[in-house]
Amino acid sequence: MKRIVVKNLNKKFTLDHKKRAGALAKIVSIFSRNNEGKRLLTVADDVSFEVEQGEIIGIVGHNGSGKSTLLRLISEIYQKDSGEIKTEGKLIYLNGYGQGLQSRLTMRENIYLMGALMGLSQGDIKKRFDEIVEFSGLSNFVDAKVYKFSSGMVTRLNFSVTMYCVKHHNPEILLLDEIFSGGGDIEFFDKSTKLVENLVQGGATVILVSHDLGLIEKYSERVIWLENGKIREQGSAEKVLSAYKNQ
Amino acid sequence: MKIDSVLSLSYSIAKANFKLRNEGSYLGIFWYLLSPLSLFLIILFIRGSIVSTEGVANYPLYLLLGLVMVNFFSQLIHSATNVIQANSGFIKSIKIPLEVFVFSIVLQSIFSHAFEVLLIALFFIYFHISLIGIFFYLIVFAFFAIFVLGLCLFFATLGLYVSDLGNIWTIASQLLFFLTPTFYIVHPGTSLYLGNLFNPIFYFMTAARDVAIYGTMPAWWMIGVMLAVSTLSFCVGALVFNKFKGRFAELV
Repeated sequence: MKRIVVKNLNKKFTLDHKKRAGALAKIVSIFSRNNEGKRLLTVADDVSFEVEQGEIIGIVGHNGSGKSTLLRLISEIYQKDSGEIKTEGKLIYLNGYGQGLQSRLTMRENIYLMGALMGLSQGDIKKRFDEIVEFSGLSNFVDAKVYKFSSGMVTRLNFSVTMYCVKHHNPEILLLDEIFSGGGDIEFFDKSTKLVENLVQGGATVILVSHDLGLIEKYSERVIWLENGKIREQGSAEKVLSAYKNQ
Repeated sequence: MKIDSVLSLSYSIAKANFKLRNEGSYLGIFWYLLSPLSLFLIILFIRGSIVSTEGVANYPLYLLLGLVMVNFFSQLIHSATNVIQANSGFIKSIKIPLEVFVFSIVLQSIFSHAFEVLLIALFFIYFHISLIGIFFYLIVFAFFAIFVLGLCLFFATLGLYVSDLGNIWTIASQLLFFLTPTFYIVHPGTSLYLGNLFNPIFYFMTAARDVAIYGTMPAWWMIGVMLAVSTLSFCVGALVFNKFKGRFAELV
């Protein structure tokens, strides 16, 4: 069963948006005859691939090659210009952690806020609350404000909430964008890596984006190499990664 | 996402932002009251020199109700102009209905408005006016909130395309404050009255004062206009927001 089908996907971004965003600039641009053409950046150029149920594929490429954009297009955060994207099943996109943390709120308040942002009801968060706190190892700081936390503690909190919310949803498709960066101390890094491994190998269809080629090699059966929004090569992890390293 | 999930998420964000705004503040929620209260006291003190308020029964209440309504409107639209940009981190990384950010600022303003309503209730007790007026005020306010919500959806979208909209609104809201009979009275037949017939806030403000302070039913045509502008504002706002929201993540 195909969980993800991407066919002839195209996407361009308009550059210079901010430069033209002022009210006066808008008015001037309406009346000005000297309208310079829009500068466009191609971020997906005729991209096509399919991912089967339970398959783990990796995406590699240099910065700006369109890896994160591709995941955002699949998860409908960005809208495609043309082409086809079909997904079958519940999909979750994760890019790092910490988007929802508010440093002036307590850890308890942050868990409820982040949980809500990740689609959990207040009742669901209540049920998961103890597990999250226990996994984070921060049970003594539940009612402390997050700005008093060290960066390692913030990472622990971020990771724990995000992962338990993902586990709760039990998604069929996982799009993971550089989430293995870990953080915290070695003990927590090992613990968190194990949790992500369980998630990745738990039967879901996974697309993994990372600059860590060892990681891609370890988990992915197939790899796509993106360059300037175009697929330069796709195939077995061994073949594509070897070509990517020797470019 | 279902509508109850959208509302629940909007409520969670509004609650967190409400806590954040009061966090570490000694005066806490009283800050919400200080702005309209200080303006209220200043105008009350100098009213004789700037406008004639003769014949206005219970003028302090007339003034306070006008101030809190215009305050609710101006501050909310100002927040809306930047709400999408302010939440760019979420918008780029989580697939959630983007309406929640607009709903949450409206809910947050409704929370703070609740304290202003409490203040008004205290004034009602002091002036021996029936508290039933507060109940009728809430009905008018519900339509007013829908009207403002529609505008917020519109301004949230526009704010992404016109980066200095917040500054423009600061000036526009000052003009609106002086053109709307917030602290003075307009008499039918005058040019100011005719001008205010094109000002939606005038209808809500007049109806609110009629039902809450004077215990009278607003004219039917006035109720009709309120219903029409609330519906129109909400529909247009929702339509514009829906049409453009797909591009928000690219623009923030």
